[in-house]
Amino acid sequence: MLIITRKAGERVMVGDDIVVHVMELVGGSVRIGIEAPRSIPVYREEIYAAVREENLAAAEAPGELPKAAEFPPHPSGTQS
Amino acid sequence: MSTLTVESSRFGSLELDASQAIQFPAGLIGLGGHAYVLLRTSDDASFSWLQSLEDPELALPVTNPWQFFADYVVDLSDEDTERVGDAAVDVWVTVRAGAELSDFRANLRAPILVANGVGYQMINEAPDVPVRAPLFDGALAGQAA
Repeated sequence: MLIITRKAGERVMVGDDIVVHVMELVGGSVRIGIEAPRSIPVYREEIYAAVREENLAAAEAPGELPKAAEFPPHPSGTQS
Repeated sequence: MSTLTVESSRFGSLELDASQAIQFPAGLIGLGGHAYVLLRTSDDASFSWLQSLEDPELALPVTNPWQFFADYVVDLSDEDTERVGDAAVDVWVTVRAGAELSDFRANLRAPILVANGVGYQMINEAPDVPVRAPLFDGALAGQAA
């Protein structure tokens, strides 16, 4: 892993198209701005990991799933 | 019109119209895959499937979120809004199947948006949106066991 030290206001280039801006440091947090081409989505790592895990779990489903007639009367979201 | 044949591991041999293919420029998050098709395996509006056209074993159950979560809201970042554009969008959420209906979960945090044959799985920026939302109330779903 490449490790570089930057100050607030400085930037890092990743290839020709991706710019990482170190915006500000407040307490223990760093605000980062990322400019990337539209074709490259940017995610917070923990959300990426959670969604990846969920996608993998969904892909484990068997081919036969319950039909609507087998559902209980009220789906979750319509409960008061 | 050209036809696609997919030897799906779950649904056997599928003959599809090529125009049904949905291109995912960025794939599904963490799964990749750039071409899928939506399969409706029953007429009862319960679950549909996003079947990969590249991997016969890769398919994810999806559902219309509003069927289960009437007040569901999708709030996209400006960048993602630009990606989707102004086109009419279909929204799906992936489903994690469980042994019992009470174990079924929907990923409300990362909906799949499909417009004009192009699909994106995007992060919903609305506050407090779960990755694993129960599709059915636990007590009620218990009756189905």
